Amino acid sequence: MEQAVQYLFVGLVLIGGGMAALSRHVLYNIIGLGISLFGLAGLFLQLGSPFVAAMQLLIYLGGITVAIVFAMMLSIAMTLDPPPRTPVKTGFAAIAALTFGVGLHGLISTATFATAPPAPADAWAVAHIGSALLERYNLVFETLSVVLLLAIIGAILIARPDRTGKVA
Amino acid sequence: MNLESFLLLSLVLFSLGLFAVLAHRNLIAVLIGVELMMNAASLNLMAFNRFSVTDPVTGQVFVLIIIGLAAAEVAIFLSIILNLYRTRRTIDAEQLTELKG
Repeated sequence: MEQAVQYLFVGLVLIGGGMAALSRHVLYNIIGLGISLFGLAGLFLQLGSPFVAAMQLLIYLGGITVAIVFAMMLSIAMTLDPPPRTPVKTGFAAIAALTFGVGLHGLISTATFATAPPAPADAWAVAHIGSALLERYNLVFETLSVVLLLAIIGAILIARPDRTGKVA
Repeated sequence: MNLESFLLLSLVLFSLGLFAVLAHRNLIAVLIGVELMMNAASLNLMAFNRFSVTDPVTGQVFVLIIIGLAAAEVAIFLSIILNLYRTRRTIDAEQLTELKG
């Protein structure tokens, strides 16, 4: 049963990733990304972290995907016919991605990874993440909040029309 | 599933993202490729966190930071796309060649 659920999520990740990467229409790309993100959240759950899975669903699926949909609706990308593919470009992209994949697969199959005994169940509690964020990783946490603030200000500045009212 | 199968899944996802970044002309599709690659990295970290680390907090914090940075990156990227569309009326990566030498 557990195994079947895992394969279901793996299938979602692969199907969604394929749709996101290979389809020519932007709307299908976004739907594929959403499916893939959902599958990944399920896999995070299987890997023992319900908190990260929930954040993946909330921030990625609920925030980022919706933001991309809005950008697609505000630009003309949805109504235009997708431009025809140039075989040369697609071919070179496929060659590059395949070369990268095969090379990395070689690395993975030759490497030996350290294994550790599974952590005790209470080590996965959300309380540990909270105290780690506020104690050991305090600096990272604060830096991330500054980065997010700057990103919001920058996004507003860049996306805003000219103050004179005319379109830049 | 063991560590290697998670690594393989994340490898496939990263390669798909790389292909999307290189092959697509629409900037939004390129952004989606970048997101696929970031999620492949997150999956990698979570798998190592589960199978080869004794203290599972670090990997989870790492993935949370990645998610937060991805949100910031998407906000900037989308505002640049909107600005490009307003000024140039196109978001085709092959027509934005002002900086071509």
